[in-house]
Amino acid sequence: MRHETCAVEAIDLEKTYKNGVKALKGVSFCIQRGEIFSLLGPNGAGKTTTVKILSTLIKPSGGTAYVGGYNVVEESSNVRRIIGIVPQDLTADDEMTGYDNVYVQARLHGLSRNEAKKKTKEVLEFMGLLEAANRKARTYSGGMRKRLEIAMSLVHSPQILFLDEPTLGLDVQSRRHLWDLIRKLKREGTTILLTTHYMEEADTLSDRIAIIDLGKVVALGSPEELKARLGGDRIYIRPALNQDLSLIKEKLVSKGYEVSILNGEVIVKVKKAEDSLFDIINLLRDLKISSLRISKPNLEDVFLELTGRKLREEEPLDSFRYRIHSMRVRR
Amino acid sequence: MMRATLVLLVRELKKWFGRKPVLVMSLLTPVLWIALFGKSLNLTNMLMPPGSLEGISPEMMKVLQQMVTARLIELFGTTDYFTYMSSGMLVVFAVFQGMFSGISIIFDKRLGYMDRLLVAPIPRLSIWLSKILAVAVRVTLLSLLLLAVSLLLGMNLKEGVGVIDLLASWSYIILLAMTIASLYALLSFYADNQEIVFAAGNLLNLPLMFTSSAMFPVEQMPDWLQKLASANPVTFAADLVRYHLIGRPVGDYTAELVKLVVIALVMLVVSGWASLRWMNNR
Ligand SMILES: Nc1ncnc2c1ncn2[C@@H]1O[C@H](COP(=O)(O)OP(=O)(O)O)[C@@H](O)[C@H]1O
Ligand SMILES: [Mg+2]
Repeated sequence: MRHETCAVEAIDLEKTYKNGVKALKGVSFCIQRGEIFSLLGPNGAGKTTTVKILSTLIKPSGGTAYVGGYNVVEESSNVRRIIGIVPQDLTADDEMTGYDNVYVQARLHGLSRNEAKKKTKEVLEFMGLLEAANRKARTYSGGMRKRLEIAMSLVHSPQILFLDEPTLGLDVQSRRHLWDLIRKLKREGTTILLTTHYMEEADTLSDRIAIIDLGKVVALGSPEELKARLGGDRIYIRPALNQDLSLIKEKLVSKGYEVSILNGEVIVKVKKAEDSLFDIINLLRDLKISSLRISKPNLEDVFLELTGRKLREEEPLDSFRYRIHSMRVRR
Repeated sequence: MMRATLVLLVRELKKWFGRKPVLVMSLLTPVLWIALFGKSLNLTNMLMPPGSLEGISPEMMKVLQQMVTARLIELFGTTDYFTYMSSGMLVVFAVFQGMFSGISIIFDKRLGYMDRLLVAPIPRLSIWLSKILAVAVRVTLLSLLLLAVSLLLGMNLKEGVGVIDLLASWSYIILLAMTIASLYALLSFYADNQEIVFAAGNLLNLPLMFTSSAMFPVEQMPDWLQKLASANPVTFAADLVRYHLIGRPVGDYTAELVKLVVIALVMLVVSGWASLRWMNNR
């Protein structure tokens, strides 16, 4: 057992899967007791792999990790006693009732029959599943199944909880509900490791975030610290004609703006968008612009800045943003 | 270890009992086998001397009949093939049920439940053990039912069959069931889809059954088949069970018993070890 400075400590974790995929290339972080810590990164970044190693499901190919002071490889049974895990994929047995799913977990964690019964009821109630408790899990909706997973992982009151993309595929209401719950668990003293590729989720819930990409931590800090790295707002300008990109850049650079081009857009870094917007529009008044939007400091931009790629390729970049709808500047 | 195993065993059985149609079918299958197969393939009747032989004196007829009877007893240990077959069926069904350890493991793996079990603070061997024991319990219940139905349909137990005979037969059937369950468990931890288990079942069940004394006596088989049969644990279990239930003599009781136990132990140890290895090396 290691002296407990961190509730969870990853030291240079590496994982190469049997098929040769290098999923982790040296991941390190330290999660303080009682904090909500997020791993934020796109699909394939290595979040699930990290969680699997920390929860003793798979072994690292290099590096070490301690959970609650216990080495995840050498003292795995101690680790399993103190953690709860909500995996990314569903694990409940859909042929069993919600109640039985939770009860079996309680018993496997060493609770006596009576304790297990009591705790099962308690946790099902906490997750709002008491009424559906005696139905087969097969009949549950997506949100209910996720809550059942959480109930299964909470029934033994774990000190440390791993939540791997807990809100993936949930509707907005279920998502809010889950956020409240995660906050409640934190207030009760649970240390929480959350993985997500929703930047607003990481932003609103986390005490600290590790941004992870291609098996590496590329930045680590509180949401505020990370956003402060941007040094201000961003203005995204998409010209109607692609060949205007460099022209726009030239014009702006000559006026002393900090400018870059990415994915058919010109990105202008400014202290405060409101102060520079009219000046910029004025500069570009001769060009045909298809869209222009302002982006307040956010984690999406942090990721973009660090990796040159978007966090979520499949969805529009600006889904959660303050933006100006197709503001056109015409001749 | 025992506690976790028990919790998981209860889960397996609860699921089995929860699947009402499956339960009914798995109870009906052996009953139908016994009733239809056992009664239609009645070697005793087939072997009787023809009733319409002309010019044969009643004495001669008697001798013929005695010859047939002697041959029947020599082969089956009874004049009644149905009794021979239904006692073998008890063993064959233990083999068929062995597959369910594998199916259960594959589904736990595919549905993610296995991941749940692997992060639970329990000895991982209990995961494997619960699957093997679930088969043992299933086989116990099915065997009792099968025996009851066989008796109703006219199976003749040996004179003075006792509790010891029943317990011994039960142990051998369970031992065989666990041997086969170990094989499928091993296969299923390393395989990643259920088809492999079904394919293995189709591949193995028939040969295991027919290269043994379960359905037909080994003595009348061609040489090469006899060799196979004398290495097949199904043969040992069938011979031993028959000795206890219907009083058919067994060549060398101790030798067959030792072989059955050794094969079972080897399979259990190899399967348990390999399954743990799979669980621990991911
Ligand atoms: N069991 C596995 N075998 C081989 N490669 C895997 C396996 N699981 C994940 N990977 C690969 O490892 C990388 C990281 O995956 P993962 O940890 O699931 O990322 P994330 O959870 O951040 O989406 C991906 O390239 C993925 O394809
Ligand atoms: Mg993942």
